[in-house]
Amino acid sequence: MSDNTIPVAEAALRPGAWGFRLAMAAAGAGVVVLVASVAAVLVRGVAVWGNNIPHVWGFDLIAYAWWIGIANAASLFAAVLVLRRHGLRTAVNRFAEAAALAAILAAAAYPILHLGRPWLFLWTLPYPAYTGLWPQFGSPLVWDFWGIMSHVVVTSLFWFIGLIPDLASMRDRAARHGRMRAARAYGILALGWRGSVAHWHRHQAAYRLVAALVLPLLLWAQTVVALEFATTLVPAWHQARLPLHVVVTGLPSGLGVVLALAAVLRQALSLERYVDERDMDLLARLLASAGLAAGMAYAHELLVGFLEEDPTTRDALAARVFGGGAPAYCGAVLLSAVLPQLLWLGALRTRTLIVVPVGVLAAAGVWLDRWSIVVGGLLRDHMPAVGPEYAPSVAEWGLLGGSVALFAMVLLLFGRLVPAVSMFETRHEESETEAEREER
Amino acid sequence: MSAPPRRGPDSTPEPPQPAALAAGAHGPVERRDALLLVGASLALAALGGCDEAPEHGHPLHAPARAVDGAAASADYATVLELDGLARGVVVRTRGGHAVKLEGNPAHPASLGATDIFAEAAVLSLHDPHRSRRIRRDGRPVPRPMLDAALAGAREELVPRDGRGLRILTGPVSSPTLARVIGEVLAAFPEAAWHQHDPLAGDGAQEGAVRAFGQPLAVVPDLSRARAVLCLGADPLGDMPGHLRHARDWITARRDGRRARLIVAEAAPSITGARADRRIPLHPAEAEPFARGVAQALGVEGLAAAGTHPAAEIAAELMAAGPDALVLAGRREGATVHALAHAMNARLGSTVLRTLPHPLARPEPMAASLAALASAMVAEEVTHLLILGPNPAYDAPAALGFEAALRRVPFVLHLGARQDETSRLCAWHVPMPHELEAWGDCRAFDGTPSIRQPVTATLADEARGPVELLSALLGAPVTARAAVEATWRAIWAGRDFDAAWAEALETGVAGGAAVPLSLQLREGWDQPSPPMPAGLVAAFAPDPGTHGGAEAHEAWLQELPRPLTKITWGNAALMAPATLAELGLSPGDEVELGLEGRTVLAPCWPVPGHVPGCVTLPLGGGRRAGGPVGEGRGFDAYALRPASGAWTMPGLSLRSTGRRTPPVTADSHHQIDPVEAVRSVKPGGALPQPTRDASLHPDWPYPGHAWGMAIDLDACIGCNACALACQAENNVPVVGPLAVSQGRAMHWLRVDRYHHGAEENPASSFQPVPCMHCEQAPCEPVCPVNATLHDHEGLNVMVHARCIGTRTCSNNCPYKVRRFNWADHRRSLDTPARNPEVSLRPRGVMEKCTYCSHRIAGARSAAANEGRALQDGEVETACQRACPTRAITFGDLNDPGSAVSGARRDGRHYAMLGQLGTRPRTTYLARVAADEEPS
Repeated sequence: MSDNTIPVAEAALRPGAWGFRLAMAAAGAGVVVLVASVAAVLVRGVAVWGNNIPHVWGFDLIAYAWWIGIANAASLFAAVLVLRRHGLRTAVNRFAEAAALAAILAAAAYPILHLGRPWLFLWTLPYPAYTGLWPQFGSPLVWDFWGIMSHVVVTSLFWFIGLIPDLASMRDRAARHGRMRAARAYGILALGWRGSVAHWHRHQAAYRLVAALVLPLLLWAQTVVALEFATTLVPAWHQARLPLHVVVTGLPSGLGVVLALAAVLRQALSLERYVDERDMDLLARLLASAGLAAGMAYAHELLVGFLEEDPTTRDALAARVFGGGAPAYCGAVLLSAVLPQLLWLGALRTRTLIVVPVGVLAAAGVWLDRWSIVVGGLLRDHMPAVGPEYAPSVAEWGLLGGSVALFAMVLLLFGRLVPAVSMFETRHEESETEAEREER
Repeated sequence: MSAPPRRGPDSTPEPPQPAALAAGAHGPVERRDALLLVGASLALAALGGCDEAPEHGHPLHAPARAVDGAAASADYATVLELDGLARGVVVRTRGGHAVKLEGNPAHPASLGATDIFAEAAVLSLHDPHRSRRIRRDGRPVPRPMLDAALAGAREELVPRDGRGLRILTGPVSSPTLARVIGEVLAAFPEAAWHQHDPLAGDGAQEGAVRAFGQPLAVVPDLSRARAVLCLGADPLGDMPGHLRHARDWITARRDGRRARLIVAEAAPSITGARADRRIPLHPAEAEPFARGVAQALGVEGLAAAGTHPAAEIAAELMAAGPDALVLAGRREGATVHALAHAMNARLGSTVLRTLPHPLARPEPMAASLAALASAMVAEEVTHLLILGPNPAYDAPAALGFEAALRRVPFVLHLGARQDETSRLCAWHVPMPHELEAWGDCRAFDGTPSIRQPVTATLADEARGPVELLSALLGAPVTARAAVEATWRAIWAGRDFDAAWAEALETGVAGGAAVPLSLQLREGWDQPSPPMPAGLVAAFAPDPGTHGGAEAHEAWLQELPRPLTKITWGNAALMAPATLAELGLSPGDEVELGLEGRTVLAPCWPVPGHVPGCVTLPLGGGRRAGGPVGEGRGFDAYALRPASGAWTMPGLSLRSTGRRTPPVTADSHHQIDPVEAVRSVKPGGALPQPTRDASLHPDWPYPGHAWGMAIDLDACIGCNACALACQAENNVPVVGPLAVSQGRAMHWLRVDRYHHGAEENPASSFQPVPCMHCEQAPCEPVCPVNATLHDHEGLNVMVHARCIGTRTCSNNCPYKVRRFNWADHRRSLDTPARNPEVSLRPRGVMEKCTYCSHRIAGARSAAANEGRALQDGEVETACQRACPTRAITFGDLNDPGSAVSGARRDGRHYAMLGQLGTRPRTTYLARVAADEEPS
């Protein structure tokens, strides 16, 4: 093992600093809130939420779509880096993969929790039940099951395959420090990695293969979420463009979260050398580009929406954009599309105090966009409004805050127990740089 | 009290005589004896529970297949009272429990339809908060103590000829009760009988006396009328006989003899909503308007001239001549009623019947109660029997009835529940429910009926007014014996047993009263002084609680009021313009003041309400009577003047700065024309759309294909269908919080739309059950196949398979699916539930099934008889309840069925048909009011 990777491994195995403990305590408190919120919904039913008729979906689907958006953009980012053998992958793609995994786990909880009878979620799985009944394969909710399951499997695989050589490094380091239990645990996960050329060859092939798998799946998962809405008769949802809209407007959240995470971790774990200014600069540019793409999606929505022939659809869009849904819609446009444009200014891109809030606010903006679709989309339906407006309850806020805390906790534990920056790639890159120098 | 008296069907029960008391009737009961008596009464109660129903009625229809006694179903014809007058019902029982009420087709006040109050009677019968124990000073006491107290009262009263004895009842149309009261008054010549009905139309009584010298009932015949002017009258909504009037009105309309309905009123009523012309009329203008119309009609004997810009409608009445009629509402003053009588006389109207008043002693009720109150204040009353009414709540607060009641030494309250009045009375006796006691009463047209118990009594200690009064007379009889005695006398010369059996079977015990022929008296017109300027308080019965008397009915509380859509309470209703003028927004709390009395209420706009007037619905703010009714809304009786007047100028209104919005099922006030409700000109037709092409092949229906058609021209928004559905399908009550959260469970809702200017919009109602779409959007989105198309085209919901994704509701454009946010099974699993409809657990969707259990029942009945199902054999609950027969249900595969006929009507359309859902429930367009006289 080269000396260069020692600080990285040290960072993972270092006993927790006070900042880490504080963050863990806060995240732990949040997870307690999450447990309470989940218990509330399981014991007392969906009635603890603010849903009603017609707002049968609210925070549940908003958060679901939002978390998937984060997971997608993060995985997409990591996969693109792997496939393009971009230098940045040496630094931040591990963060991105971890964020994606945590987000997809947070997302996967919602479709189950939001059921009226969550313990029967198995009925959406195709298995030969004694009742002789199968799921209805025409329902987007069944597609959704396939989408989220594929997402979980592929994201986990992607993350895990990338981690194998590093797990082997951790194994060796732990063994050298005489911590045999930890070494064994890392060893099992490292799948007998010995670092032979054959291992490296297969690893690279597998890693790229899974990365290539990630790309269509990401579109698929987000598309299926969108199809749950697009296949209904609700005028604001019944749009062929909705899948594209949801995929594109979801990008700033994942990139924003990855950018903010990179900025925070690089300071918290003193990894400036490994996640350097150029990496941050590139990430920030990507976020700005995603914001631009989202902005174009919004422009397309308005253009196409108001050219629509059906007056109900036009009214629905007007209500969502200018009427009661205006605050969420405008917030979404401002935070996820307009605000990231700040990052085109080079001076701002490398400032932690700028990029962290911009990244987080971009994610918040995407959340508002999901609200605007799920809640705002029902402001004008075919029938006049039959129920009161949707107002989320404490249990729903608890679930959202709690799942954010769980996300944070998973990332914190990740940074604590496994190397956040991929050691092998950093090393690999350095050796290449050295070789180049020697060539000159 | 040696042996508990056993009751049997043939022996009249012998109540324990006071002499049987070991400690003597005169002294206080010893503690030990009291314990013994309590034990004995408990044993009696237990016995009562095991016994066969002692005084059961006659089943109207024998059960088709009685498997055993407990599962047997039986239907009984009986009557229920509203405002003291009868509506005939048929009660369906299952295993001895009354589970559903339907209208009695043979009864003139029902013709097979029901109203919301009749539907809810099943719920009040099984109400756990009913009073079940005889109480003295609030504590349960054994029944012999009551008998002893009555005997004591009798001994006190006999020597002084009953001086100090007063009886207070509600409006009495019962021949038996009237006879027994007459016997009491004969035995105690110094005693007096008072009546109290907070919703009484005293103006009608006085107006009739002014016009003809005697109280009478004006019964319109809307099936023949060509022009009807309603002066604040609501013949389709709250007038006695409203079910009949609604049927008559729609019959004429269907036959192309549309009566031109002109309604002049301050606050919109359901008749106003269906009027061909509605004239918003401030209460101060009511008399000038009536006078103006009378003058234009050339009524003779007018004491003063009157003008009103809208009086030109007189021409329409004149054109209709004897086919025109003028109706004055219960809230109008005597002068308006007298003017209405004079106008009818002038028109020579032949489309109304002037009948003797169906009440046993018609009188102005407010005056009757005021006389009692002043006698109580003067301490002239020593013994007061309150038989039914609840004056401590619904007497005008200005009368001071509560304070006066405390001055009476012996007060006995007979009531179905422990209410505001019973709390002030020394004695409280539970009153049997109408469905568990014998009695009789008259319908709006005088048709008498015998009321028979349809179930074993659920409150063993309950005693009816006749039993109490006869005990006071010292000759106790059972209610059944008293009713039989009355009818033995009435039917003298006929075979009593045959007549009795026939009366019980048909639910009618005679014909309507014979019309009177009366001449207008001299000096009938006594103009009232003009109303002073200022904001006017207009009291009105709350359409959901009927003045508070039905406030304990959770079904009624949760039912959105037809025009305001308010549930679980009431609000000060006013014109949107008045609200804006006062700088208020809907739901702001205001302090209402009248003659120094104040009350806090939320304000609420009602399009079509006249400005300068605030409608105060009577029936909110109950202080006792059970948790369902207590504290819902505000108590408008607290403002009512001592005269019991319906309108009173001088109302002050001040914002408190707080907000207490009422719970509404519709928080949106926007007036916008929607395509859901369509209308055509008279005789017009809608363009019939061509069927959209579909990628999906049609479903084959070799057998039946059920469908429903709802005639929006017939719908009057009375809510009977919604409540019938709730009763039939075990639909839970969710409470005000859940309603405000948008979680009401009604399978059938009645949407109300306003069109046009908010000063006087046209309003229409649209019942919306499940559409049972041919291409149901809910079906393909369900991941677990929980909602499916069945072989007869029903869109069925498999509760057991549902996992609660709620996607189906998302994709239902009609939003008719309901989700079980909470587990309501415990509240529903009472004897009142319909055993044929399963209860749904938490977390599953539910919706209208087209009463699939009724379809299954009819199918198996037909199969047993080896024949095909006939059209009309399956009647859904909503269809059965509808007074205007707006709902048609049947087989679309049968070209001769009524529903197929409705589908061929030019007015037929599918709601949101452009979505391609091809609903099975379709509508017939409303026929728009044409402003020109026809």
